[in-house]
Amino acid sequence: MSDNIIILMLGISTFLGALGLWALLWGLKSGQFNDQSKFLDTARYDSEEDYKDAVMMEQKKKDAIKRKKEKEKNYMPND
Amino acid sequence: MAQVPCTHCKLEFDESVMIKEEESGKTLYFCCKGCEGVYHLLNAKDLDGFYEQLGNNKLEPVKLDANDDLERFDLEGFKKKFVKTTKDGFSEINLIIEGIHCSACVWLNEKVLHQTDGVIEATINYSNNKAKVIWDEDEIKLSKIIETIRAIGYNAYPYDPAIQEEKAVKLRNEYYSRILVAVFATMNIMWIAIALYSGYFTGMQQSKKNILHFAEFVLATPTLFYSGSIFFRGAYYGLKNKFINMDVLVSAGATLAYIYSVYAMITKQGEVYFDSVTMIITFVLVGKYLEILSKKKAADTLDKIASSSPTEALVVEGDNKVLKSIEIIEEGEIIELKPGEKVAIDGVLTKGKASFDLSILTGESEPILKTVGDEIVSGSMVIDSVIEYKTTKRENNSLLHNITELLSDAITKKPHIEQLANQVSGYFSVTILLIAIATFLGWYFIVGAGFEKALIVSISVIVIACPCALGLATPMATLIGISKAAKEGILFKEASKIETMAKTTLLALDKTGTITVGKPIVVNYKEYRDYDKNLLYSLVKSSNHPISKGVKNYLLEHFDLKELELQEHKELQAKGVKASYENSNLLGGNLELLKHNSINFEYSCDNSLYIFAIDGEVVALFELSDIVKPKAKEFIKSVKKLGIKVVMLTGDRAEVANKIAKEVGIEQVEANLLPQDKASLIDSYHEKGEIVVMVGDGINDSIALAKSDIAIAMGSGADIAVEVSDVVLLNNSLESLKDSFVIAKNVFKSIKQNLSLSLLYNVIAVPLAVMGYVTPLVAALAMSLSSLSVVANSFRIRKS
Repeated sequence: MSDNIIILMLGISTFLGALGLWALLWGLKSGQFNDQSKFLDTARYDSEEDYKDAVMMEQKKKDAIKRKKEKEKNYMPND
Repeated sequence: MAQVPCTHCKLEFDESVMIKEEESGKTLYFCCKGCEGVYHLLNAKDLDGFYEQLGNNKLEPVKLDANDDLERFDLEGFKKKFVKTTKDGFSEINLIIEGIHCSACVWLNEKVLHQTDGVIEATINYSNNKAKVIWDEDEIKLSKIIETIRAIGYNAYPYDPAIQEEKAVKLRNEYYSRILVAVFATMNIMWIAIALYSGYFTGMQQSKKNILHFAEFVLATPTLFYSGSIFFRGAYYGLKNKFINMDVLVSAGATLAYIYSVYAMITKQGEVYFDSVTMIITFVLVGKYLEILSKKKAADTLDKIASSSPTEALVVEGDNKVLKSIEIIEEGEIIELKPGEKVAIDGVLTKGKASFDLSILTGESEPILKTVGDEIVSGSMVIDSVIEYKTTKRENNSLLHNITELLSDAITKKPHIEQLANQVSGYFSVTILLIAIATFLGWYFIVGAGFEKALIVSISVIVIACPCALGLATPMATLIGISKAAKEGILFKEASKIETMAKTTLLALDKTGTITVGKPIVVNYKEYRDYDKNLLYSLVKSSNHPISKGVKNYLLEHFDLKELELQEHKELQAKGVKASYENSNLLGGNLELLKHNSINFEYSCDNSLYIFAIDGEVVALFELSDIVKPKAKEFIKSVKKLGIKVVMLTGDRAEVANKIAKEVGIEQVEANLLPQDKASLIDSYHEKGEIVVMVGDGINDSIALAKSDIAIAMGSGADIAVEVSDVVLLNNSLESLKDSFVIAKNVFKSIKQNLSLSLLYNVIAVPLAVMGYVTPLVAALAMSLSSLSVVANSFRIRKS
């Protein structure tokens, strides 16, 4: 086995592993594992609806932030 | 008749009592209006998927609560206490959702909140029913959100994510990530190490070795500097305070191994020890993490008590009722309580009567009926009716507040043995460092083993000898002991009191109120001549002594009385009361009092006496007898079994004292004592080298209590107990006094076991390491096992 192949195999596998680790850490940081039973239920009741729900919430948040910013921009002290 | 399930909550009831409804050809049954309402609401909102998820689970029938308390959620005081602002400018609150039974409930609540305009984020934790809601204050009010939750049959109330808990969770997550990285690196390094080991025996080209070394280096670096940064930080603070702690040892061991390996990798000579580096970090980290976990458990116990404190109370001001934040409520205000509400401030009941649940304070589940004039303590809960009471304290002096303060203090104050253990582990660490250096020099110069071998052996010595177990031995055991005791209504004011309690050799008990119920009743009444009963009544009414109270109760039962205005009222300690009324001198008390006033009177019996004299002439005599507390005898017996001497101290006459002592099985009795006599007796016990626990009523025993090593006040109200006692027994029972002895002894025993365990471990492991029989890898494993055994041993306290 040539050295290059060993480097390639080790490098790629470690990189892939690290990718998985990063995903795990991200999930941990965003609180996805804080509730064990809910975490499992998400897998059990996985549906398109939940996905839509998540997208809707994200949109709602974006809108709310936008509104807030606009309000700040248009804020005029009444004098 | 057939039982049919309610379409909403799925509980089965008789068909005849159900609300029937036809809907698109199907018959629906509801057990109540509440369930019906929620069912239609869910259908209208297209949320009937809830019933699919519900499966075979059953719910509680929906209660239709009045929503009249909603405005309180928008009050400024409420917001200040519970609502936080996120960095995007939204509001955030932590709620506890009541009524969650299954995952479907979580789903429904989240779904409904998500569909509510203005709610930005809503996550509910199924395991503990806690929810975090983020919303836009411009679009929706919090009261509206709560209303929405109530509308679907649940209830929400806010909680203050106590700092203790939030901190513990954050710490836990931090450790999680570090452990994940460490475990990932260790696992991968082990694969590579296996290749290297086999290459070591079969011969491997240097170029391939270099590749593997480099891969190990890549994996070990984040482990040491990210996962291991906790140890570096600890070592830094330790050294800054001129203190060598276990973190110094761990980081020294790991860093030395790392630096040597990097050197070996670059020079392409010798072996690398990256696998040892990651192993050391991983094992020690896991051991430390277990410590954090058990600390969190103890914090949870505290939160359970603290979270039961309400934030507002309904204050009655004339015809108006105002919701006020409890911090601004003054003494003397009238507060209205509804069933299910908790008392936040101590006070006295002024209107109505109700049963109170005191289980949070005492662990007793039996409710207690209170009527007008009875004391109401914070932490208790009204069960059945609406009452009004007048506050006698402010919130920050109330019992519940004091208890919470006390518990968090107890955890921070360290027992002597822990201070000692910390000191020892400091010296220990220095010694180990010296031994390691000596080992290195010995192997290098005397044995002549070469730099690499000498370094690796000394690293093993450093790693295996980590005084983790030594440092863990005491705090683990005390923490578990304190939280176990708190669960049973026993509060140790300081962790050090556990140690003192465990070493107790002598228990001094006051008679009245401790061994006996403390409410003597009149068993014999003699009238020597006719006299004005109102005089006697006024005299006994002025005194708080149990004997006076007993006489008062007797008079109230048998005569029609009115109170007179007495002058020159004077209480004579342990004797009685003196006063005058329209030129006549009144005396009420025991034989001692008569002797003191040179009145000749003889009387002998084995009950307590109360004699009433007018102008030097005895007119009436009462014999009173107290009842021994149930289980007092068993208590004395079990305390003696623990090897503790029991003494009874009392101000009462010897005849009375001996009778009671015989009844409960106490041999040593000191009677006829004045309060200061009790105190000097305690002093004399100290001179004999005894460690004394004194149990008294906290008022007239206060000097003796102050002199004793551990003071416990019993039978005079919880607030006095909290103030003067070192160990507070919330349910005032002899049983919990015994339990506190047992727990203290168990904790202390476990501490001693832990210390000897870690000592034994080091005595065996260090010499082995010095002789070079242990690789750094095995050393790290052995060290973690020693910490684990200490943790496991401490957890046995919970079981006992």
